Amino acid sequence: MFRRRQPADADAFGAEVLRHLEPLFATALRLTRNRPDAEDLVQDTVVKALRFAHQFERGTNLRAWLSTILHNTWRNRLRDGGRDAATIDVDSARLEEIETADGSAATDTPEQLLLRNTLDADLRAALDELPDVFRQAVWLRDVEEFSYAEIARMVDVPIGTVMSRISRGRRMLLDHLRKARERDGAKMSMPSTA
Amino acid sequence: MSECQRVAESLAAYVDELLQPDERGRVDRHIAACPSCRRLADDERGGRRLLRHESSKLLAGPLPPGLRRRCEALTRVKDDSLAGLGRFGPWWRVRLVPVLLTAIAMIFTASAFLSLATRRSDAVLAAQLTADHSKCFRLFAPPNGASADAGGIERTLARQYGLNVHVPSSSVEDDIQLLGMRRCLYGDGLVPHLMYRVHGQEMSLFVLSGTERKPDDLVTLGHRSQIWSRNGTTFVLVSPAHGTGLTSAARYVMREAR
Repeated sequence: MFRRRQPADADAFGAEVLRHLEPLFATALRLTRNRPDAEDLVQDTVVKALRFAHQFERGTNLRAWLSTILHNTWRNRLRDGGRDAATIDVDSARLEEIETADGSAATDTPEQLLLRNTLDADLRAALDELPDVFRQAVWLRDVEEFSYAEIARMVDVPIGTVMSRISRGRRMLLDHLRKARERDGAKMSMPSTA
Repeated sequence: MSECQRVAESLAAYVDELLQPDERGRVDRHIAACPSCRRLADDERGGRRLLRHESSKLLAGPLPPGLRRRCEALTRVKDDSLAGLGRFGPWWRVRLVPVLLTAIAMIFTASAFLSLATRRSDAVLAAQLTADHSKCFRLFAPPNGASADAGGIERTLARQYGLNVHVPSSSVEDDIQLLGMRRCLYGDGLVPHLMYRVHGQEMSLFVLSGTERKPDDLVTLGHRSQIWSRNGTTFVLVSPAHGTGLTSAARYVMREAR
């Protein structure tokens, strides 16, 4: 199934890998939440991609393959550091609170949030506030637009779990943004539905 | 399972418009009659819309200085042997790097037999860390320019290794610049590798937690390794054996690393 990369292909493969550096770094930054670790993670990902280039199946999605390497590397680092990527940061009580909130205190619509000049920065902050597994899921689905199956392979969980994390992550993100707006004193009384 | 729970399981695909028509109709009918599920669907759709609206901005951030250059250098290394590295350096590196990389291979091959010896032998420890020193500077040396933040590295050490270590920062007086930190394989795990530049020469400080050794000072593979321990942590400072102007910087690092 895999074809060994021929020497003549090496430069072209390397160039293809380099074309994905920006999104890889953006993803690494959202995973690690600090620039030195993100930089380190991208370098390790490139080293592994080049080392195992012969395992890349031509005609398949190189970006997804690189992203899988990046997530595996990050998961291994967390494991080495005594953290478990599958369970960290998941605060059930907090989730329950979010899921059962009636929304009466925070009611901005996505459209109102989109009108904010600072949305880009707010969104990054709200993403960073999400527990790791939810941040990872919504990022891969809605920012990188990978399929459920691709995400399941990357993060090594069943597709049902991926879908559940995406759902919760999206709702938690909106909740964080509304609360941030409320903290800024810019709360508006508008219907909560889009 | 209640209908609400069944709908909750399909909500991501519903919002992504990936459900089959009959399944979609079932969810449509349920949320039309169930305010709480309708609210969940609306909120999920809202979060999705915000992310997708901003996705190009979120993915577009500039790369840190030097990252592309370092990755480009990696793509020029042929296959996964690192022998091609020599062509990027001066003539002595052309010869020295393959020798060092051979040393790495030999050390790793023999590591299963030498793990006990590594714990005991300063010479083996020095050889392995000297090889890592050379490999990291060849592959990952940050570009000339800004110094790394010692405080930030200390926080990373605490978070990733549980280490409470004072990291020697850049010092104009001692003409030493802190470039950054890497992780290197050692024994059964990873150890922090702090990278410095002194008068244009490369210097490394390795931090091995939970181990104590007697002070030692030895030359291996053309590099000097100074070993000392403090508060249950062993430090190994690797620098060129015949470097110039390194003494003051080495004293500074040995004084400040604690």
